[in-house]
Amino acid sequence: MGPVLSLRDVHLTLQGNAGPVAILRGISLDVHRGETLGLVGPSGSGKSSLLMLMGGLERATGGTVQALGHDMTALDEDALARFRRGRMGVVFQSFHLIPTMTALENVATPLELAGQSDAFDRAADELRAVGLGARMDHYPAQMSGGEQQRVALARAAAPRPAILLADEPTGNLDGTTGEAIMDSLFGLRDRHGATLVLVTHASDLALRCDRVMRLRDGRIEGEDRQQQAAQ
Amino acid sequence: MTPGWRIARRELRGGLSGFWIFLLCLTLGVGAIAAVGSVRAALESGLARQGSVLLGGDAALRLTYRLATDAERDWMADHARQVSEVVDFRSMAVVGEDRALTQVKGIDDAWPLRGQARFEPPLTVAEVLAGRDGLPGAAMDPLLIDRLGLRIGDRFRLGVQDFVLTAALTREPDALSGSFGLGPRTLVATRALADSGLLSPGTLFESSYRLTLRPGDSLDGLRAEATQYFDAGMRWRDSRRGAPGVETFVERLGSFLVLVGLAGLAVGGVGVSAAVRSYLDAKTPVIATLKTLGAEGRTIFAIYFLQIGALTLLGVLAGLALGGLAPLAAAPWLQSRLPIPAEFTLHIAPLAEAGAYGILTALIFTLLPLARVERVRAAALFRGIGADARTWPRKRHLAALAAAVLALIGTAASLASLPWLALSVAGGVVAALAALWLAAQGLRALARRLARQPALRGRPVLRLAVAAVGNPREGVAAVVLSLGLGLSVLATVGQIDANMRRAIAAELPDQAPSFFFIDIQPDQLAGVLDRLDGDPGVGAVDTAPSLRGIVTAINDIPARDWGDHWVLRGDRGVSHAAAPPPGTELTAGEWWPEDYAGPPLISFGADEAAEIGLSLGDRVTVNILGRDITGTVANLRRLDFRSGGIGFVMIFDSAALAGAPQTHIATVHTDPASEAAILRDIGAAFPNVTAIRVRDVADRVAEAMGALASATSLAALAVLATGFVVLIGAAAAGERARVFEVAVLKTLGATRATVLASFALRSALMGAAAGLVAVLVAALSAWAILTQVMELDYRFAPGSALAVIAGGVLATLAAGLVFALRPLSARPARVLRAQE
Repeated sequence: MGPVLSLRDVHLTLQGNAGPVAILRGISLDVHRGETLGLVGPSGSGKSSLLMLMGGLERATGGTVQALGHDMTALDEDALARFRRGRMGVVFQSFHLIPTMTALENVATPLELAGQSDAFDRAADELRAVGLGARMDHYPAQMSGGEQQRVALARAAAPRPAILLADEPTGNLDGTTGEAIMDSLFGLRDRHGATLVLVTHASDLALRCDRVMRLRDGRIEGEDRQQQAAQ
Repeated sequence: MTPGWRIARRELRGGLSGFWIFLLCLTLGVGAIAAVGSVRAALESGLARQGSVLLGGDAALRLTYRLATDAERDWMADHARQVSEVVDFRSMAVVGEDRALTQVKGIDDAWPLRGQARFEPPLTVAEVLAGRDGLPGAAMDPLLIDRLGLRIGDRFRLGVQDFVLTAALTREPDALSGSFGLGPRTLVATRALADSGLLSPGTLFESSYRLTLRPGDSLDGLRAEATQYFDAGMRWRDSRRGAPGVETFVERLGSFLVLVGLAGLAVGGVGVSAAVRSYLDAKTPVIATLKTLGAEGRTIFAIYFLQIGALTLLGVLAGLALGGLAPLAAAPWLQSRLPIPAEFTLHIAPLAEAGAYGILTALIFTLLPLARVERVRAAALFRGIGADARTWPRKRHLAALAAAVLALIGTAASLASLPWLALSVAGGVVAALAALWLAAQGLRALARRLARQPALRGRPVLRLAVAAVGNPREGVAAVVLSLGLGLSVLATVGQIDANMRRAIAAELPDQAPSFFFIDIQPDQLAGVLDRLDGDPGVGAVDTAPSLRGIVTAINDIPARDWGDHWVLRGDRGVSHAAAPPPGTELTAGEWWPEDYAGPPLISFGADEAAEIGLSLGDRVTVNILGRDITGTVANLRRLDFRSGGIGFVMIFDSAALAGAPQTHIATVHTDPASEAAILRDIGAAFPNVTAIRVRDVADRVAEAMGALASATSLAALAVLATGFVVLIGAAAAGERARVFEVAVLKTLGATRATVLASFALRSALMGAAAGLVAVLVAALSAWAILTQVMELDYRFAPGSALAVIAGGVLATLAAGLVFALRPLSARPARVLRAQE
């Protein structure tokens, strides 16, 4: 079986005020089904950009990005949006919940967009799974940061995506809450058997992944398997 | 229910807090149009329902210059249930040495056939006319009573007939059916005028026979029979359009004010657009999140289109409630001040019109900001970028925008009484918006350049202000567009008003005569000229024979088939001359020999001939006193009505009209000191001769135009009020950014005075720019209207322009400084910590 995500010689150059800035310079990697991959590196190394390329949220300026056998670089914005439905879940550091929607509605939205008739029932199950069964009708502003991130996790996991992408999901949380979020994230991954790509600064979180890729200046600096990383 | 609609409903839970400018702009714009339309509909409905009262009967047959013959009277008696005869003419009411122009109405015992006249003291018509001490009675307009210093029971004279004033005429039911009167009304019995010398052959008077229908008769049937029986000089009017002049005036003024209201809605549209942009900017993370979750561009567009649509409906409904109910609330006040009957109720048509304008305007001004949401990329979540403003909107959005613009202009043009006026106003608004947008872009670019100039270094107040004007986030475009368009409308009214007042007040007396004397009988002409010739205070005197005639046919084709030109509409002054009158300027053809005695020839006004489509050699048939005279156009003459002199559109050769009963008209230039003596002497020697002071006429016209200018200014102020709301919206939207800006500046050592001065300067700069462009737009519009439509000269009126620029500066200063108060009082530490 081929890789779930496959990147070949991927470049990303953005146009800044002072001229073009090379964010990613020739990244090639494969991620396999069910695998967990940690992306680590200093600020500005390009790890978040790499994650967004994998999710089709950013468009590569060179090379190819394939997800589940589809060439993401050939799809337009709307086709990418349709592709993500039910296949990819994304979790952000800043949660990005929709403030005018309750927790339940936030989680149900991707299911509704995918045309699921039981969107709200499934969303409720997902919220109960992350321990927020009692907070379904609360708005984001009425919840703590940890609770908001758990809603975001539930929202990403609700459509049972094949790929879960998480961009520093604990970056805005204290240590204990962050720990609980990571438990939830890995719990969801284990339950649904999704492939997980996780961007993090925290080496202890990266250690929970099967594989850790180190980035620096837009290039892959090195790669550690779980056993090596632990050492 | 689609996901788009469900998500839109959830998004609306955010409330209306960010939308009060949006709603206020729509409510004000739609409300103003709905109110103007409702008042117009109330007046039109009142005029339609009161048609027979306004006319004084079910139908009226009008004759010029003569009373009906006995045979005609018999015909009317046979064909109507009731007949009432009314004569109408200008004359002088004389009290001792004092004399005043008056419009005399001679009535019979049957008047009024419809409606009721009111007098003070409350007498019946018969009691008023009965008089006292052997003298016939009369009622006068209270204005005229005041002017002549009369009291009830006092005597006055018309021609050589004495009358006693028995009452003040407080309500004349058929006052609006006549033509534009130059003097206030005097009501007398026609039989009492028999010895006044005022209804001699050739005198300018009009008779009107009001008829009521017999049971079973129809207006159309009676009209057909009357047209067949009477000569072509008879004019028919019936209760279906009892006061056509007033109806047309109401319709046109209403249409014009609705168009001014549309300009206001366009100003509101700028605010609506800015509000939607600002809302959608704030929604960028939500849009990007929805994209991340799999929402397509169309779904996102639908989500926000539905939201803005719902808010638009709310704003439009609020505007309709305001515009529909405000005239109802003001009905008692309006009714007591209007000379026209009105039916104040909820009129659906004008509300539907205003609603359609509101929805289309909102669509036009929100479509492009809404279209941009499709371009928001999911990457906005982590890169802090919104939609790329430079990308060209999708074709379907541009097509929808074009369709909405066409629908709006098409609706306005089809509903306006003068489609060309609607199209011109629409063109003007679009051109003004384009000019203002360009000016805003230019100002921003200039400010950006200026802010980098070394000359501004070391002058932080100025540099900060200029840099802020150059900042795309400062909302310069919204301020300049909204305030500028409002000021443009006001400045245009100001420029036109100033020029017309100047034309009347300053330029008229330079060229115009001091008096017109009318109704000079042929045997009185020598006497009048003798009196004038011997007076050293008298300058030029012109005289001409004067008759009234109706153009009935041109080249044997009925005149009505030649269009609705004013020369063909009613009866016109006609003269005759052997030699060209002094100052005649022929543009085509030649004047006839002085002893010409062949078939009738006509000298026609050149512009009027061109407008009607007449050329040399065409045959014009004019009905004068019931007789058709056909003349051939021998030459065309340039006519300048602005000079106020004698200006007949049609002059026949003398032989053609020599036998017709006629009077003479004279214009006299005098110095002011001689005026009173001339009036007194001619009035005493020739009591039937009426003197009209040109200055009085000019004052009446200026008064009427002043009222028009006031109505238009009021509408322009409503436009400006909407502009001010947009301005406040822009200032309020910038408040949060200013809080941060002030905090940083204070941290860097700026005092509050420095910051305040910089804020004031940036506001003043934007206001001045809006005012300047508005004055340019107004000068151009006023020039076009005055020179192309009104055929008047245009001269820039600096006073009004300065006031507009000052108004622009003050408005932006006020809005800017009010919203600077919170930023100035905020503590920097709190603000900066909150940003982290």
